[in-house]
Amino acid sequence: MIAKKVIIGASDGLHARPAGDLVKLVKSFAGTQVTLSTSARSVNASSILSILSLALKKGTEVEVKAVGPDEEKALAEVTRFLESL
Amino acid sequence: MEGTLAIGKAWILHRGDDTRRCDGRTLDEAFGHETSRLKEYIENSPAPEVFSAHLEILEDPLLQDTIQRNVTEGMTPAEAVKAAADEISGMFNEIGDDYFKARVDDLNDVCKGLVEFLDGKCGNPFENLPDDAIVVTRELFPSDTVEMNLGKVRALVTSKGSPTSHVGIIARSKGIPFVTGIDISGIQAGDLLLVDAVSSEVIVNPTNSQTEAFKDRMAAGNDIPEIMRRVVTKYGMRIFGNAGSVKDIEAAIKSGADGIGLFRTEFLFLDRDELPSEEDQYQIYKEAVEACQGRPLTIRTMDIGGDKPSPGLNIPKEDNPYLGMRGIRLSLSMPDIFKEQIRAILRASAHGKVRMMLPMVTRVEELIQTRALVRECDASSDLEIGVMIETPAAALISDLLAEEADFFSIGTNDLTQYVMAADRGNASVSYLNDPLDEAVVRAVKIVVEAAHKKGIPVGVCGEAAFNPEFAELLCGLGVDSLSLGSPALIKSLKHLRP
Repeated sequence: MIAKKVIIGASDGLHARPAGDLVKLVKSFAGTQVTLSTSARSVNASSILSILSLALKKGTEVEVKAVGPDEEKALAEVTRFLESL
Repeated sequence: MEGTLAIGKAWILHRGDDTRRCDGRTLDEAFGHETSRLKEYIENSPAPEVFSAHLEILEDPLLQDTIQRNVTEGMTPAEAVKAAADEISGMFNEIGDDYFKARVDDLNDVCKGLVEFLDGKCGNPFENLPDDAIVVTRELFPSDTVEMNLGKVRALVTSKGSPTSHVGIIARSKGIPFVTGIDISGIQAGDLLLVDAVSSEVIVNPTNSQTEAFKDRMAAGNDIPEIMRRVVTKYGMRIFGNAGSVKDIEAAIKSGADGIGLFRTEFLFLDRDELPSEEDQYQIYKEAVEACQGRPLTIRTMDIGGDKPSPGLNIPKEDNPYLGMRGIRLSLSMPDIFKEQIRAILRASAHGKVRMMLPMVTRVEELIQTRALVRECDASSDLEIGVMIETPAAALISDLLAEEADFFSIGTNDLTQYVMAADRGNASVSYLNDPLDEAVVRAVKIVVEAAHKKGIPVGVCGEAAFNPEFAELLCGLGVDSLSLGSPALIKSLKHLRP
């Protein structure tokens, strides 16, 4: 398992449409499990509802964890996606 | 501005009237049907990304697992879907942020599709929608915008919903006026409606002269009544925005507002179990000041009463909350809590131009006591403190208040209600709830004269400011600024500037 922390930079946080894009990205790494964690809890990043329930706002710190065959690529692309919002 | 005005006949959608039923269906069939329906929408909608997000929700492991668990526990498929939607939306509603709460609509739309299929409903509820109708209903979902053939619709009017919802985005992209927050109970099928998405107003069965004036505005391609044009260009009134969140402030400033004339702080005290700390408040106020980008921010201290219960405050239930412990009365009754708000405002004032405004004032002592509390927090403070004029008492002693206050803001909705002794929510006395009534006009006149005699500015906040005749009257009386809730209106007015 590998992990990296990112800060949400998008002014209106992570809302439904980018969350949908994130889920698509995560699902493209079949067999690799990606989770997002805040100080409150951890959720499965292939569930848009779980991601939205985190209510990620600008400035929130999120830890991205990846486990599986593509974990390095998945971690790199997911963190890049969150940082570029 | 395209898509803000419409004239047409009301067509009312009553959900649940459709009694046609098909055979019983399985959960798998429902998911298959919903998937193909959403894929079709993605092809045909002006906002395909909305339905891509819906498809994601449909395929979501959390939703599927919750439904599956409910079925295992013995529910029918339709019950299982409804219960899952309730459980997950409950989770969202706890988040306490309007943006995320609005996403509950997406979840409910997806689940509604599943439940309707499982319940065996067939056909399109908009099948009989005539051309050029104005669709009136309690609430609209994104899927409705595909099923109703938006090309045939003049406008959308709902009682529930938000302009920032996906339906709002789709309506705007099609140039269709969309007005929410309307009391639709008095609208009958076939009624003639004038829909104004700039002021968020719907006039039902207008008089001929109202219709003619409205048609003139449409023909002239201007969404702003002539008088509102003069309010800005001739009288030079300043235009502020009303805001209930930092997001609202950003929208108002982006639309060109001269500042924020009313920043409501109740959201910090309602819908939560405990009171916000001074630090919590400071962070929000600081964000709010920064969002104003150097323009003034008027923070109204908590305007809470028995009708808006705050779990952290323990306000006893009152028979008559509008005449009870509310606004500044409540704040002064709990000075320690009030001082936390004052300190947070004082700290935020280091980051920009901040004014503090007191609601529900009826006596000069309330202002004097507040000033004393401010000095206890910071002896050298030069914070501007203003008074909301919304009670007949405040209007009658406005000359005395002007001695102590740095500015006045007339809250026309409450002032009208209190002067006329007519409950805003009571339809049978709504004819008395008229800001142009002689008694209200006299009250406004007294206030403006008292303010100007002392050389302090007086503004008006309240939706009545958009009533063209009332706006003209306010100009004539010498009001200095209007504070409006609609960013679209602020933008239109500000663009009139030479």
